[in-house]
Amino acid sequence: CYIFQKGCGRKDCHHILNSSPSFDNWNVLIIVFTEMRDKLRKWREDNHRNSEQIVDVGEELINEHASKLGDDIWIIYEQVMIAALDCSRDDLAWTCLQELKRQFPGSQRVKRLAGMRLEALEKYEDASKQYDSILQDDPTNTAARKRKISILKAQGKSAEAIRELNEYLEQFVGDQEAWHELSELYINEHDYGKAAFCLEELMMTNPHNHLYCEQYAEVKYTQGGLENLELSRKYFAQALKLNNRNMRALFGLYMVSSHI
Amino acid sequence: MAELLLDSSIRIWVVLPIVLITFCVGIIRHYVTQLLQSDKKVDLEQVSDSQVLLRSRILRENGKYIPKQSFNMRKQYFNDAETGFFKKVKRKVTPKNPMTDTSMLTDMMKGNLTNVLPMIVIGGWINWAFSGFVITKVPFPLTLRFKPMLQRGIELLSLDASWVSSASWYFLNVFGLRSMYSLILGQDNAADQSRIMQDQMTGAAMAMPPDPNKAFKSEWEALEIVEHKWALENVEEELMSRDLNFCELVLPD
Repeated sequence: CYIFQKGCGRKDCHHILNSSPSFDNWNVLIIVFTEMRDKLRKWREDNHRNSEQIVDVGEELINEHASKLGDDIWIIYEQVMIAALDCSRDDLAWTCLQELKRQFPGSQRVKRLAGMRLEALEKYEDASKQYDSILQDDPTNTAARKRKISILKAQGKSAEAIRELNEYLEQFVGDQEAWHELSELYINEHDYGKAAFCLEELMMTNPHNHLYCEQYAEVKYTQGGLENLELSRKYFAQALKLNNRNMRALFGLYMVSSHI
Repeated sequence: MAELLLDSSIRIWVVLPIVLITFCVGIIRHYVTQLLQSDKKVDLEQVSDSQVLLRSRILRENGKYIPKQSFNMRKQYFNDAETGFFKKVKRKVTPKNPMTDTSMLTDMMKGNLTNVLPMIVIGGWINWAFSGFVITKVPFPLTLRFKPMLQRGIELLSLDASWVSSASWYFLNVFGLRSMYSLILGQDNAADQSRIMQDQMTGAAMAMPPDPNKAFKSEWEALEIVEHKWALENVEEELMSRDLNFCELVLPD
């Protein structure tokens, strides 16, 4: 049985997850395999990154119930593989990758997963070559480009990563994930002006997202100067208007107002 | 104006088989088209252009959420007389002539083959096999001009034009089962003949307008006339004037 709950002391329960803080609110009882599969689907659709849980549930699902899953199993392999890479479970990742390679021999998506595995093993040169081969076949493949940039980020070469990301965004102006990543990189480099530009792009495409407003306001506040502080106040107010439970925005509004 | 009583075996042996035949042929056509379909190669430039146009449109629509200066900066980036994107970037446009462009030619041939040919063949067979009697009555009255069209093989001058023969029932099915196909095969299925015929009528109907220059020009014009009205002008007053509803935020101890 799977009981994701703190302090489950039953003797026959062999999966007790105790001290991980993310499970504090989980009172999930997952027994039947259909529930496991639905849980995985929900995590997949919501883009949760709870890799340990995914690895546990997914491994059990793959080892015991593979035949009952039908065609779902391939996407579960992909999901479990990425989670396994997160948890450094290279054995599991390798098995998943082999299955996927066997089923989809020429697939770009599988190649990207192979590249991700090489990245996880820190073989950045090989991973880079793998992504280059994907891009040769299909120059519009955004996933491979983004993985290359994340290799640079993992190696700590943030200046190059910024440059590459800029070039990527010149061609694919609509990629919001990339804009967000670029704004983070700029914030790390303390280049707040450019970070503000990226966040403006995000705000334009998602005008009702209070988090972007709030991040933008924070960047403006950090930049300093009376004009920026006024802008910052306005955007904190906007974030609060969109969602009045945003504590950070409320605190930010207080800080800015006391500074002006 | 005759009220005919039709033999009920017509219903079993003619009406239903025609429906079944049309349906099955449609499904087969869908799968055959999928098998024969060649991969569409997407051009990097096209993708990039379409995204740029999208960004410019978003700027027009949601520009009021960003500060005035940023908006003007972007507007200038796109529209400036010498260095603006829409002014500067001219894409080389090669109009795709359907006769000479080989890939399009084969696509057209395949389309014709899978769609028109079965229709003609089966229409002819039905006409030959089920001729000489009326199938059904359409629920609305028709003028006499429809008689030769809908009543092939039945030479009765006094017969109401509402009584139709099997060929017209077949054509009715072809168009009517379209919604069934979308139910079963999902949207955008290849069995949808009328859509294909519409495509042929409108000519070169491609995904991205073959002339990005025109698209750029229209986008430029649209962006020129947009003014920036900042939505956040009075946001603080608005925020203060409303009840902030903080009571829900206090967590129960």
